[in-house]
Amino acid sequence: MGIDEKFTAIRKGLLEFMVLKIIAADKVYAADILKQLAGTEFATQEGTLYPLLSKMRREGLLDYEWKESEAGPPRKYYELTAKGRSQLRETTDYWQKIDGTVKSMGPKSD
Amino acid sequence: MNKVVTIHLNGTAFQLEEAGYEALRAYLDDAARKLAANPDRDEILADIEQAIADKCRAVTTDHRTVVLSADLEHIIGEMGPIDSGGSAATETESGGPAAGSSQTPPPRDSASSSAAGSYKRLYRVPEGAMIAGVCSGIAAYFNVDPTIIRIAFVLLAFVTAGGMILAYFLLAFILPPAETSAEKAAAHGIPATAQEFIRRAREGYYGATRTFHDKASHKAWKRKFKRDMQDWSHNFGREMQAQTRHWQATWHDWASHPGAYRGLWFTGSLLALMSAGLTFVWIFAIISLLTTGAVFGLSLPVGIPLWAGLLLLCFLFAILNSPLGAARHAIWRHGWGGPPFLHPLWGLWSAILWLGFLAFLIWFANRYVPHAHESLMNVPPALHHAADSIREWWSRR
Repeated sequence: MGIDEKFTAIRKGLLEFMVLKIIAADKVYAADILKQLAGTEFATQEGTLYPLLSKMRREGLLDYEWKESEAGPPRKYYELTAKGRSQLRETTDYWQKIDGTVKSMGPKSD
Repeated sequence: MNKVVTIHLNGTAFQLEEAGYEALRAYLDDAARKLAANPDRDEILADIEQAIADKCRAVTTDHRTVVLSADLEHIIGEMGPIDSGGSAATETESGGPAAGSSQTPPPRDSASSSAAGSYKRLYRVPEGAMIAGVCSGIAAYFNVDPTIIRIAFVLLAFVTAGGMILAYFLLAFILPPAETSAEKAAAHGIPATAQEFIRRAREGYYGATRTFHDKASHKAWKRKFKRDMQDWSHNFGREMQAQTRHWQATWHDWASHPGAYRGLWFTGSLLALMSAGLTFVWIFAIISLLTTGAVFGLSLPVGIPLWAGLLLLCFLFAILNSPLGAARHAIWRHGWGGPPFLHPLWGLWSAILWLGFLAFLIWFANRYVPHAHESLMNVPPALHHAADSIREWWSRR
């Protein structure tokens, strides 16, 4: 297994967390999410994002509403549900714990 | 000079170069197959079509209205392979090179390899057709001689007392004709799929028999299975006969009373209408299962494939319809007290009434119930989805 493949597994696990964070900040539509992720380690594509969004909606983490756009047909704007916000809080706490553990283990780098 | 195809993506019309259209169709078909088990399949597909439409709109201008094949290849590359969930392989493909820039990986091989030909759909094939090309279409689909399918159809028409003729015309109405070269190719699909089917079935069979360690236990198992099946069919047949006899006795009593003629005509006609009504409900249950995956609000439990649902519906229909059929049969065959020449007349009347009422119900629903009309319009794509899902289920095994 190459180093990049190992990173892929980490990214895959964290993508949902990233999407929760992005939607928590503002109501967004799918292309916004892709744009915000582009250029980061989490850059992804419609083929991955759409099934993920639909899975998250099925789990009750987010919801959407149709809104008219200035150009073209109406778009789906996503927002978090109460359940989605609480999962975001828990994941954030957990992430901080992991981050702390990672820093405290092993040889100190700095 | 390139041929241009006009398509609708989520309601907006676009003109595409033919090669680009093929690639797009392959991509969308592939997406539909990968999402076959996803409960939100239709919604995700609509979102994907919408995203492709947005990207197509971005590359067209007032002066350039056609989306070129190169544009489409780029767009499909940007969309990335569909993540069917759970498979890490797809993720590596889409996530790997994306780390640096969003000028995403070219998953061209996935699109072109699917375009290379595993696409197979049931069409009517008008070339060399006897009537409407339904048999030719089925023959092309299974890669067998059309004559075999035609003979099977005719035999079944006799066995089902004309039911197959109705089925033929339903199919002629439902199946789209293969007109373009792409459709014709899809009608035939890749060659030798039927052989592959048979080969796998055979392998599965031998695989199963191999698990028996000695010949004796295998034989015993086979005997037991055979006996069970015979018992079951014997019991079923006996019960049906008893029921028919019971009806016959009842009708005979009635018929011996004076003035029973009119009662018989009335009851018989009523039975025919009931039977037609039941058939109508059955047809709509099947259509709604195919188009929405649910029957009267009841959806299939997860994990039960569509074909099992269809089989269950057919079974339920056979069980509900058999007493009605037996009663009708009893009336015109034995319960009739009048002159013998009227017997076939009554059978004909019953059949015409059944067919007429059924046709009327379908026409009425199509004309006056918007929901039913919509369902009927959704039948052809739903059939394709069903065929796809069955094939998907098979190839997963």
